[in-house]
Amino acid sequence: MRWITSRRARLLGGVAAAVAVIVALLMTGLGRDPSVFASPLVGRMAPNFALPQLDGPPVTLARLRGQIVVINFWASWCMECQDEQAALDQAWQQFQDSGVVVIGVNFQDTAGAARAYVRTDAVTYPVVEDAGSKTALAYGLRGVPETFVVNRSGRIVKHVIGPVGAAGLATEINSMLGPGAQ
Amino acid sequence: MNAAGTLRRARAGLPGMLVPVALAAGLAALVIVAAGGHPPASQAEQVQQIAAGLHCPICKDLSVADSPAPLAQQMRQEIAQKVRAGESADQIRAGFVAAYGDSVLMSPPRRGVAAVVYYLPVLVLAAGLVTAFLLLRRWLRASRRDPPLAGPPLAGPPLAGPAQAGLPQLSAAQRRAVAKAVARLREEEPG
Repeated sequence: MRWITSRRARLLGGVAAAVAVIVALLMTGLGRDPSVFASPLVGRMAPNFALPQLDGPPVTLARLRGQIVVINFWASWCMECQDEQAALDQAWQQFQDSGVVVIGVNFQDTAGAARAYVRTDAVTYPVVEDAGSKTALAYGLRGVPETFVVNRSGRIVKHVIGPVGAAGLATEINSMLGPGAQ
Repeated sequence: MNAAGTLRRARAGLPGMLVPVALAAGLAALVIVAAGGHPPASQAEQVQQIAAGLHCPICKDLSVADSPAPLAQQMRQEIAQKVRAGESADQIRAGFVAAYGDSVLMSPPRRGVAAVVYYLPVLVLAAGLVTAFLLLRRWLRASRRDPPLAGPPLAGPPLAGPAQAGLPQLSAAQRRAVAKAVARLREEEPG
């Protein structure tokens, strides 16, 4: 009888331990911000690119070393990209004199549609074309919008999937600029 | 007699020799096929093979080779360009893994946490075999230690002497009750 009781206690203990492990895993997952993706590129050097601007000289990422670079992948057909447009423009206007560059990389789009979008939505930061999506593939893009923040050393410090918010972007940039940088 | 005997022995041993000879021939054929039986794959075949091993990042369960998504098409173009540039399949795969992580591979790598997928079934099988062996051994020992009670059939003569050894002692009243019950059962038996 005692043997049966101890066996039952062991069984219950095992089930309780298994449930505890599953709950702990769920808690860990639920406590994470789903928009901040655990990209394998975070912490690594940002893949270089040299892409033509829609209307302007080509942009080469390597030449922007020493500046904070916000790389935003977008498309004219993407509704969420329109939602974050104002936040990106605000960051560009607010921080461009502090050594921050915002670049829009047009993804799977036509040049005509992209130009019309830039004119209509009054995009003020540089926008480049990524024909063949070579740069998008190098950045492990899964869709738009996606945004990468690159520090002064050229390393990716953040990868956001989905639209970025003005406050979150400003906080991120301010933390990289340091106190009194503006 | 000697020549005829030798011939008989040789005939008798022929089927036995055929098996190892056939096995050796089969093995040799396998080695030849494995060593150089396949002609070198064309560039299109290489692209197809590499794309089939990559998971389309925006699809649920499709490889880059099978997906009609524009991103998968661009990945196939990228693979083709890299194959033409002389990059090996491993280099091309490594490039996509660097950007997308291990999840871009159709088969998880045999390292890190993903290695569990490969080794867990083997461990479970080994644990099952060990458990089965231990249980079997325990049952065999138990059956040897406690042999089944031997005794005469119910319809046999009354127990007496050595046949009664090991059975519980019954009182006279109990014996009478058992005898009555047996007699009743015998009467109820058909035929």
